Amino acid sequence: MALKWWLSASALLSSMTILLVLGFLLQSSWPLIQQQGATFIVGTEWYPFESLYGMLPAFIGTVWSVTLALLIALPCGVAAAILCAELLPPRLRSTVRFAMELMAGVPSVVYGLLGMWLLLPLLESQLNLLTGRTLLAAGLLLALMILPTIMVLSEDAIRAVRQSQRETAKNLGIGWDATLWRVLLPQAWPGIRVATLLATGRAMGETVAVMLVVGSIDRIPEPFYNFLQPAQTLTSRIGREMAEASVGSLHWAALLFCGLMLATMAVAISLLTHRKVAAV
Amino acid sequence: MFRCWLSVLLLGVSLAGPLHAVAATIKVAGSTTVLPIVAEAAKLYRVIHPDLSLTVSGGGSGVGVANIERGIIDIGMASRPLSDSEVRRLNTTTDVIPVARDAVAVAVSKVVYESGVQGLSLPQIAAIYRGEIRNWRELGGPDAPILVIDKEASRGTRHVFASVVLGNARARAPGATIITGSNNEEQAVISRSDQAIGMLSNAWLNDRVRAVAVGDGEHAILPTAENIASGRYAIKRDLNILVPKNSSDDVRGFVDFLRSEQGRMIVQAVGFHPVR
Repeated sequence: MALKWWLSASALLSSMTILLVLGFLLQSSWPLIQQQGATFIVGTEWYPFESLYGMLPAFIGTVWSVTLALLIALPCGVAAAILCAELLPPRLRSTVRFAMELMAGVPSVVYGLLGMWLLLPLLESQLNLLTGRTLLAAGLLLALMILPTIMVLSEDAIRAVRQSQRETAKNLGIGWDATLWRVLLPQAWPGIRVATLLATGRAMGETVAVMLVVGSIDRIPEPFYNFLQPAQTLTSRIGREMAEASVGSLHWAALLFCGLMLATMAVAISLLTHRKVAAV
Repeated sequence: MFRCWLSVLLLGVSLAGPLHAVAATIKVAGSTTVLPIVAEAAKLYRVIHPDLSLTVSGGGSGVGVANIERGIIDIGMASRPLSDSEVRRLNTTTDVIPVARDAVAVAVSKVVYESGVQGLSLPQIAAIYRGEIRNWRELGGPDAPILVIDKEASRGTRHVFASVVLGNARARAPGATIITGSNNEEQAVISRSDQAIGMLSNAWLNDRVRAVAVGDGEHAILPTAENIASGRYAIKRDLNILVPKNSSDDVRGFVDFLRSEQGRMIVQAVGFHPVR
């Protein structure tokens, strides 16, 4: 009885925490909403000195860097997962998997420094750019960081497909290609989807590594899909400006609103993940 | 068993006790321009006063001022004069003490310097930062777009640069390509590029990061020690420390050390000009 009570109290407390976080963020950014209405959310200019807190440039930057990361990491991660789950001998498989798990454990600032010293000069020389600090750099770095999540979880999902199904396919004379496309991937799809959504969350919230390579300029790329230009993300803005903003000022409120936007996006993604898990 | 536990506990207390009593800590934070001076002074001061522990961290002038206001550090560093509103909030509680004079150099990549851009007038620099001049060719340099580096809005270097060049400490710089933070970060970007321009404390220049002379033609002035001391170089500033009026004697002692003859020597050794 006591145990049950303790379990439910803990569960309640932990689920309350997220409400507390969202509530705190909303309360702290309220002065800004009160003073400027909601128009600043779609504003394109961010100049704290002039009380302009347009959220659009950093929002677009976040969406772009995450999209790029997914476009790169998703095909690579799933391909690696298929290879590991279906084709590699067990010993090699565990080596690859171990390497992926190690990759997941490397602190993000290390990826950031790697990006600064290796990726940026490479981009500059290969693409002949004015500066390597671009959305593409952020996307590539994020892709590297979310690759392990996608690969490991997708592999689990593929391996979870029952062996009897593979054998049945074989007995029916269906080739490996067709088995993969028609049997394995459709059944593993919910798992891959969850992996993708989790990875999206990680990419969205990543701060230090992105801050070091994205250029940190609050400007929407021209044209807006030009990912070879420097930009800003919500996290890198918070990382750069939080320390200087005096507590309780409008600037402070605006930075916390960036946090609220990120938290809301993360909650939305979690809800999506949750729905899909329930559906399985 | 209990006795064993107790003796371990006592041992712990007796070890921790004196350690705790010794470690009076002085926390310093703020401008990365002032940081080398204070860090160097702290290194020496620790030798004289081994009982003190000094931590010196960066963050920028804005951070130095904000953290002094929040009361979470003992000494703030600022590489710019305080703004009017900061003076209003702080002048009853805090002393602003200049420890050195510095120039904000207009720094360019080595390649740009060597191909002929060795002097720029203030209007030319302003035009670059406003986005009106976008190629080094227009300034007698190589045919290459300009990588214009702006700094985070809270940085003292930017305040001083923008107020002299753009006419207002908080002016926008629509010509900027990217934004960097510390002197260190900006120095790294300029030295790794062949077409960059940036604003950098005079002490951070090196072979790959060169200062251009500022002014019109014949009258262009380089940020040399003499020109900074005489005040002829245009983009200059005092490097300040912020000390609460109710500081402890430990803090006062360190501040006096910074202003002593030894402190002046450190200022010079680090590459700035001491204040008389």
